[in-house]
Amino acid sequence: MTLLAHAIAAAPPASISPEGLRGRPLSWSEAGGLGLWSTDWAPDIKLERPDALAHHRLVERICAAQPCLPVRFGTAFATSDEARASLDKRAAGLRAALTRVAGKSELALTLLWANLGGSAPHPPSMPEVDGPGRRYMEARRAEHAAREARRARSESLVERVVADLAIERQLVWHETCTSEDVAVSLAVLVPTEQALERKSELARIAARFTDVVPVVNGPWPPYTFARVE
Amino acid sequence: MRELTAEDTSLLELVDRLLNKGVVLAGEATISVAGVDLIYLGLNVVLAAVETIETSQERRAS
Repeated sequence: MTLLAHAIAAAPPASISPEGLRGRPLSWSEAGGLGLWSTDWAPDIKLERPDALAHHRLVERICAAQPCLPVRFGTAFATSDEARASLDKRAAGLRAALTRVAGKSELALTLLWANLGGSAPHPPSMPEVDGPGRRYMEARRAEHAAREARRARSESLVERVVADLAIERQLVWHETCTSEDVAVSLAVLVPTEQALERKSELARIAARFTDVVPVVNGPWPPYTFARVE
Repeated sequence: MRELTAEDTSLLELVDRLLNKGVVLAGEATISVAGVDLIYLGLNVVLAAVETIETSQERRAS
């Protein structure tokens, strides 16, 4: 019997519906004062697209019942003993991470460039140049300058969000310019009972920027902050 | 290439978290189960959602 892992929580397990993915049994493997919630899976059943989102809904359900650390989707153990051994090996780090995220939820903010052809920062206009080699080099220089301008603007957007949200740095994670469209991808860890209020605040702050379109998501389980040192 | 919509973005952010964040249990984690490539799966989740959005928009327009 394969176990498809969902979340780690402190023992004892909360009382939740014993239904895992696709209606299969949800099981609890305990070691080192911790436990792993997982679905009893069979190696011959292939994961399909809806399973990823079903895993998300299940992790949400577990996190609503007790503080938990989401496990990366697709993590599997051949036996319950293997799952327990893995928990035991990292118990101290997992307990510390669990303490860090207990009672907290993740909000996500994505800032998309409002108009890729217009609003994204551009370098100064290119002077008239002679010769294909020179034109090529000037074009490369202009592209590099445009990338640097976008990156600098993205970082300044992050600074504004963090300052206006008045949140500790360690509760913020971000990446900038992850694709042509995305200026900023940012996650913040907030107390669950304030999550909706903080989400509105985040949306209000991001709506002030004229060169990006904000997309705010969550509250979600603390996926981004579930790392173990 | 068309620009990302808010719906695409939300789904991409969520799928990114499911596949790239969360606890990795040392030495035991797999990136696939039963031979399914999860990166491919993630892309398919996004594509499926985009198709759904486009279908519902077409339905509303007609």
